[in-house]
Amino acid sequence: MKSVDMVFEGLRLGRPFPALNVFATDREYLITAELPGCEPETLDVQVANGELTLRGERSLHANIPEERFRRSERPSGPWERTISLPERIDEQNIRAEFTNGLLKLYLPKLPVAAARQIRVLDLNQSSVAASVADQNPQNQLSNVPSTPPSST
Amino acid sequence: MNNEALPTGEHGSRREDAAPARWVRTPPIDIFETDEGLMLRADLPGVTVEGLDLQVQDNRLTLLGRVTPPAPEDARLIHQEYHVGDFMRSFILSDDVDHDRISAKLINGVLEVLLPRSPRAEPRRISVKVQ
Repeated sequence: MKSVDMVFEGLRLGRPFPALNVFATDREYLITAELPGCEPETLDVQVANGELTLRGERSLHANIPEERFRRSERPSGPWERTISLPERIDEQNIRAEFTNGLLKLYLPKLPVAAARQIRVLDLNQSSVAASVADQNPQNQLSNVPSTPPSST
Repeated sequence: MNNEALPTGEHGSRREDAAPARWVRTPPIDIFETDEGLMLRADLPGVTVEGLDLQVQDNRLTLLGRVTPPAPEDARLIHQEYHVGDFMRSFILSDDVDHDRISAKLINGVLEVLLPRSPRAEPRRISVKVQ
């Protein structure tokens, strides 16, 4: 008899598959996922626009009739998961390893850019500001009470 | 009489040589019949052949898969969706399993144990004498 309870347990609890753990060192992030029964050739790892997408298929019970099962707890079938990557990842140098059903993704951090000094201009003392003021006599006169030209 | 190889419900039972602080998990399994006997498959991701301990004692099959931490020492765990830990589960074997011919393979984190049917378990005709 085939028990489907375990197969759908993850779905029922709303857990995304595969479950991921994320580690960080000074140099890189490490994402791990347990994918027993997946074959490395069928694992699809893609990075685009700051998102990482993992796709694969867990072992199917190929050619084994259902009535032969005494117990069936292992989930199977295709799966897919997309996650957002942290900022400052060197996407060109992401490495993936798959050993003994464990996927390891190494995501190198981009080096922190050196701080760049930006010069601040003091517009009050610059000649540009002064010349603009000169060519704008209305501004200069606006606060001055208008005096009628002397007729004498 | 139940002839199946059934889990005993004693998964995760304590072992004297296991470090107490380690997390122990019960791996999901499949058991199905083949022409030679029973096939048992267990998901043991992260377990190497060296880290796997498969024992038959009396009529009990016990599997213990040790998992080495996947990250270097200086790595900080910043997001966790699953617990890393060893795998353990034990089963009571039925009388018709040929203990001496049990074989096992580990492929992509899946353990396959073949439990062949013992030849002596073939049906034996008992003649009834008519008095």
